[in-house]
Amino acid sequence: MRNKFTTFLLIAAFAFSALGVLNVRAQDATLLIWADDTRAPILEALAAKFKEEFGVNVKVQQVGFGDIRSQVKTASPAGEGPDIFVGAHDWIGELSKDGLLEPLDLGDLAKKFTEASLNGFTYEGVLYGMPYAVENVAFVYNPEIVKEVPKDFDEVRKLSEELIKSGVVKYGFVRQSGDPYHFFPIQTAFGGYVFGYEEGVGYNAKDLGIDSEGSIAALKWFEGMVKAGLQPAGVDYDVMHTLFTNREAAMIITGPWALGDRLRPSGVPYAIAPIPGGGRPFVGVQGFMINAFSKNKELAKTFLFDFIASEDIEVTAKGKDGVERKGIPMVLFGFDRPSAFLPALEKLEDPDLIAFAQAGVNGLAMPAIPEMASVWQAWGNAIEAVANQQVSAEEAFKTAAEQIRNLLK
Amino acid sequence: MITNTLARRRSVQPAIPGVVTLLLRYIGLMVVDAFALWLIFSLINDGIWELAIAIGLITLLVNIINLSLPLKPLRWISPAFALLALGVIYPIVYTVYVAFTNYGDGHLLTKAQVVQLLERRTFVPETGVRYRWEAFINEAGEYALWLTAPDGSAFFVIGQGELQPVSGEIPETYQGFRRATRAERTRLLAAAANQQFGPEGNRLSVTRDFAAALVPRFRYDSATDSVTDMQTGAVFTADDEIGFFVDRAAFEAARAQNPEARARDFVMKIEGFPAGVGYRTVIGFANFERFFNSPALRGPLLSIFAWTVAFAFFSVASTFALGLLVALLMQGKFAGRRVFRTLLIVPYAIPALISVVTWRGMFQPQFGIFSQIFPGLPNVFADGTLTRIAILIVNLWLGYPYFMLVCSGALAAIPADLYEAAQVDGASRFQAFRFITLPLLLVSVGPLLVSSFTFNFNNYTLIAAFNEGNPVIADSPIPAGQTDILISYTYRIAFSGQGRADFGLAATISIIIFLIVGTVTVMQMGLTRRWEEVSRNV
Repeated sequence: MRNKFTTFLLIAAFAFSALGVLNVRAQDATLLIWADDTRAPILEALAAKFKEEFGVNVKVQQVGFGDIRSQVKTASPAGEGPDIFVGAHDWIGELSKDGLLEPLDLGDLAKKFTEASLNGFTYEGVLYGMPYAVENVAFVYNPEIVKEVPKDFDEVRKLSEELIKSGVVKYGFVRQSGDPYHFFPIQTAFGGYVFGYEEGVGYNAKDLGIDSEGSIAALKWFEGMVKAGLQPAGVDYDVMHTLFTNREAAMIITGPWALGDRLRPSGVPYAIAPIPGGGRPFVGVQGFMINAFSKNKELAKTFLFDFIASEDIEVTAKGKDGVERKGIPMVLFGFDRPSAFLPALEKLEDPDLIAFAQAGVNGLAMPAIPEMASVWQAWGNAIEAVANQQVSAEEAFKTAAEQIRNLLK
Repeated sequence: MITNTLARRRSVQPAIPGVVTLLLRYIGLMVVDAFALWLIFSLINDGIWELAIAIGLITLLVNIINLSLPLKPLRWISPAFALLALGVIYPIVYTVYVAFTNYGDGHLLTKAQVVQLLERRTFVPETGVRYRWEAFINEAGEYALWLTAPDGSAFFVIGQGELQPVSGEIPETYQGFRRATRAERTRLLAAAANQQFGPEGNRLSVTRDFAAALVPRFRYDSATDSVTDMQTGAVFTADDEIGFFVDRAAFEAARAQNPEARARDFVMKIEGFPAGVGYRTVIGFANFERFFNSPALRGPLLSIFAWTVAFAFFSVASTFALGLLVALLMQGKFAGRRVFRTLLIVPYAIPALISVVTWRGMFQPQFGIFSQIFPGLPNVFADGTLTRIAILIVNLWLGYPYFMLVCSGALAAIPADLYEAAQVDGASRFQAFRFITLPLLLVSVGPLLVSSFTFNFNNYTLIAAFNEGNPVIADSPIPAGQTDILISYTYRIAFSGQGRADFGLAATISIIIFLIVGTVTVMQMGLTRRWEEVSRNV
């Protein structure tokens, strides 16, 4: 028995010494950044430059854009999270609620960013991210088929009917289903809204506008399109763009992500205009956030404020599309979206991106309040139910509003 | 001669393990223990106590099994025991535990993690000075700072020495130090964010923006379980019932006036915790109460349950029927039988997810192959009944090869003389199938039918990949789909429907689902036992 005990002690001693060896970790400060496949190659190039100019190592890990949020939530509390991560501004409601975001103070640097982009990353008066680009949808049409941009959505319907009747196209205007994000500009064109917005205060979660008069009017317009056979069923992102690039549809609502992905490679002529009828698209802001659990916060701030937002450091980086670009970091980040950084926005030459930026001038920052998360599914379901002709427009939005109010209770 | 050799061999075999075996075993155990201990310590470091305790217990058990003589026979199976405990038993125990907590958005962190975050916060007291700093460095790589106060006065400080008053422009070199380059300046911030300068009593911390004597903003007192905000003096006490730090004084005062006042309205709110400083805590049966009391949750549950049962039943019935039919056909001898058999297994060989997404594409109303062949076909995804039929077709495609394989094997095992006897007795082919093949087949295939039912009951992959449970139930009080099965509905509630991750509620629902599936399984076990009796009577 004593023998066994000695053995056990020996094993324990060995185990502890092994533990000591394993636990000695190199104390080198390395910034860890999580970014999606579009930003990661740019950040890799920037990391090399940062090492050269600032003498500190930066490691970039590629994580799918949609996965970053959930991964941050699981990895950060365990101490495995990144110091900096790339994300969308509408994550901050949820992530700050969990205490995972470091409040930022841009100081004088704030003047160099568009106001809308900073508003997007501000929650209850506190800034939680440094924006680099904005994105919003616009009205995209085929100028060979559509000679004059419709003034409002009633004209869109009229034009659709004419075009289909004349046999030029199979469909006139086609809406992307699957998410209500693409429906919002139509809804606002009819005076509808999701949450009441007060300038300077932000969204009011108590004022739900899904069943407001304007919202229902917009859905009724859409119901009319469906009942008149002007809307094909089951149109997702791929189908909508295929219809457009096959010249089977003449008008769509889409965002700058479709440029490199669909519109440019297809060779089909396209033009970009603001949403008809003064519709206000959601403006999404992308930016960098700092993990509250990061042990290198000062370094992370140096990287973002003194390097990424610098105007005197030029870097050459090869983008995801294989094209090599040269410019200040913020110009590189704004190659496929209008930049949120004014000095980079002024350098913008791409006419398509300028057109998208113009379509977003009257846009509304996508609500970052946590209540918004309870809205998406019910709201989207209502529009799909009308698209499938399951219920009437009025009933659909009234039910959706009731569902959302139930969830928010 | 031969017996001699055998006997000698037997005598050579040692009764006690050799030194090498023993050594190898101990070394192996040491490696396992070292790894486990390392894992346990890093888990404790991260505040994940539950898993650390579980791994500790498992490691202890493995050690006891391997070191104790009476338990020696178990030692080869001990890795399996360890994996079973870690991979099956621990998640079940943890799920049950989570069901009794408020774990989810807003209560994601443990109290220790929240306190850790709070204790790292600092602030500059009103009497403190925020200096702008410029870094200097000497040959030895030591740092010094040139500090400029807002009132214009300047100081030079070497390491943790005294602050020396200086004046004038910031020079390039000073007292053997030169101005640090940008890289050196950054490295100063990198070496340790809390790089300290100045003498004790006036110790300055360097941040990117300034150097100042920083004071911890929050102080946690474990005796009273409360956090004091050093800047404002406010005290917040942990309220383990709701998982928030709460301003107890204000709450008590409010309750004296109005007995209806809730602690929830007095939670501590600071920068970076806009919804209140919340943490994970045990909340008893609150999740179960919420589940059973909320009409919003009960709403579509009955129809979803009915569809789940129907889906699982028809999936098993159809795949079994087709699989058996094909297996019977394959018993015959005909040309190209092997080719057919190979082709028939194809759906089984392709990953289910790929098949499901392909089927989804085929049903697509614009470009899908079905709408191309039958131009009048309505949009399958717009109609609940059609979608359900489509799901059953897809599942039939995915599932029949399994039963085909299983039935082929079982059919081959049925003795041929039974059929001969039946023929002699004048039984028809159908009677032979009905009274010989089927009962004998069910003996071996029956348990597989039960497991297939359970599998389909929780077949989340199919529903999620094919149509995400849509089309929607238009009049449901909370978002739900007509083809949602219980598990996909759980997912909706836990991760998207509520708009926030609510792991506590999701765990509660999965326990309830487990109880349902468990009941169904036990009932089916009874059926299986009946089939076994049949086989005994044959």
